[in-house]
Amino acid sequence: MSQIDRRTFLKHLGLVATGATAVGVGLSLAGPEVLRRLRRPWDDEAFAPPGTPRVLVASVATYGAELERLVEDGLRELGADVSGRSVLLKPNLVEHDPGTVINTDPRLVAATALALRRLGAASVLVAEGPGHRRDTSYVLSASGFAEALRDVEVRFVDLNIAPVRRVVLRSRFTSLRELWLPEPVLDADIVVSMPKMKTHHWAGATLSLKNCFGCVPGRVYGWPKNALHWAGLQEAVVDVAAAVRPGLQIVDGVVGMEGNGPIDGTPVGAGVLVFGTDPVATDATAARLMGLDPGRMRYLRDAGRFLGQADLERIEQVGEDPGRSATPFALLPAFEHLRIGSTAAEREGTEGRV
Amino acid sequence: MSPSLFERASAELSRARDGDGFGATPGSPPEPEPTALAAIALDDEAARRWLAGAQREDGSFGFRLADVDSAAATPLCALALPAGAARERALDHVVTHRAQTLRSDQAVPHDPSVAGWAWTLGTAGWVEPTASALLALRRLRPAASEAIADGVGYLRDRECVGGGWNYGNRVVLEEALPPFGQTTAMALIGLHGGSATDLIDRGVAALRRLWPAERGPLTLATSLAAFRLLGLPDADDVGSELADLLEREPTEDVVALAWAAIASGPGLAELAVAT
Repeated sequence: MSQIDRRTFLKHLGLVATGATAVGVGLSLAGPEVLRRLRRPWDDEAFAPPGTPRVLVASVATYGAELERLVEDGLRELGADVSGRSVLLKPNLVEHDPGTVINTDPRLVAATALALRRLGAASVLVAEGPGHRRDTSYVLSASGFAEALRDVEVRFVDLNIAPVRRVVLRSRFTSLRELWLPEPVLDADIVVSMPKMKTHHWAGATLSLKNCFGCVPGRVYGWPKNALHWAGLQEAVVDVAAAVRPGLQIVDGVVGMEGNGPIDGTPVGAGVLVFGTDPVATDATAARLMGLDPGRMRYLRDAGRFLGQADLERIEQVGEDPGRSATPFALLPAFEHLRIGSTAAEREGTEGRV
Repeated sequence: MSPSLFERASAELSRARDGDGFGATPGSPPEPEPTALAAIALDDEAARRWLAGAQREDGSFGFRLADVDSAAATPLCALALPAGAARERALDHVVTHRAQTLRSDQAVPHDPSVAGWAWTLGTAGWVEPTASALLALRRLRPAASEAIADGVGYLRDRECVGGGWNYGNRVVLEEALPPFGQTTAMALIGLHGGSATDLIDRGVAALRRLWPAERGPLTLATSLAAFRLLGLPDADDVGSELADLLEREPTEDVVALAWAAIASGPGLAELAVAT
């Protein structure tokens, strides 16, 4: 966590919210977006104002032998301080389909674990709560994660069955107000969100913020975690990410997924890893690399108001130029409005859908 | 069924207890679903006692938090409880708390006239909670014919193209989604002994394809239970594979362990629905 200490933040999650919602005058004249903008559904004292975070775009062609060094270099370039800290890596591990690339590549996750150890992390574990499959052991084994993690002697925790604690939300874009979250997530000094760079057929794109859905335990919220979708998918992305607060992000865009993601899309070689300490800035940069306008992505717009920096002009971009390195991802017609320069209209919401 | 599988699974399950109940992982605080399954698997009075104490005023069991009420374990708890008022209140809750329906459209076509049961109250229906509810009602309250018909109708509507079930979406954005082993097994457990023989036959064919490729403990344990409840010889191969797996890779998933002990032991009779 870049702005305030993560443990301090989590310790205060149980405190009574101050109700910072502001409602302006003349609302009857305002459109829905203006109304949204007038609301401030978060506790100001829990979130430092978005700063000018650094995001690194690294050109990486394959999941080859150099991965560990590339990740270590990336984390050093970012100035990530993991020394003596407990680190939880949260990849996308949703499903297994040998014909496509649904999950974060296990070689990247294993390489990251090794790099973090070399950088002095006190402990590293990998954790995920798959959203569609209840038999996590099967997904872990079939996807290659079990073998990759065994090779580097890193423990995996199934967040769907890990012990949980009740957390009061400090943002209220949904009506959820509270979440059960797994203790390994709450107790880690640093959560590293490691999403696959891919399109999402209800949210537009699934990156480090949306990846936090996997932290929500299936045995409470189900397979799928439909309560989150029912609460409003875009809003739930913001509330869940604001509760999990991933302090580091590594987006796997070496091979991403375009089209009908997050499950049935097509592999696309984007050839990048995106590193960051601010999940909003990281996702805004990754979106741009996919040819998407982050300003048109509702959950990024909302998250950019309090959780991190969504304004590309205020993000310190290092490494490859996101504009020049972009690989425009194929989009479903319903999401053409998200493309940079698009004149397509936004479609209606898809609340409740999975 | 191999006594060694039951002995192994029940011994590991017994070690996982925390006080009277069972948590999701060994030694973690008790929760309704693993405790209900363990009570059935081990014929365990202490677990039933814990369940009786965990029942909520409205008859349900689960996690409740602000706007989210997860009551999907209620049907399994009803199956674990002895005959009496507590069980009847749990069944009343199941009958009266079906899922919400969404309008059907081209993106996710489905029959909105059947609801099924949800993971969390007030949200959409999904295959596994619907299968559990169907099992409990068919076994313990067969007079709930409207609810039972709704559950069968839901599973018929959500059947994957070619048979079997995933979590509950047959087609999304014109893509036919494939079935999964574990959810297919759960749906067959819910349907066994009933008249939807076409659904069952296609589901069995799908499960015969799926379990050899999806060799996780929960998939194998529920597959074993499904095949045994249906009286099919496939149970022998699945049981052998599950015994090998539990020996090779012990699991921390207490629900999977409990299903393994139920599927390989006398507790399975507590789930059987007469033809």
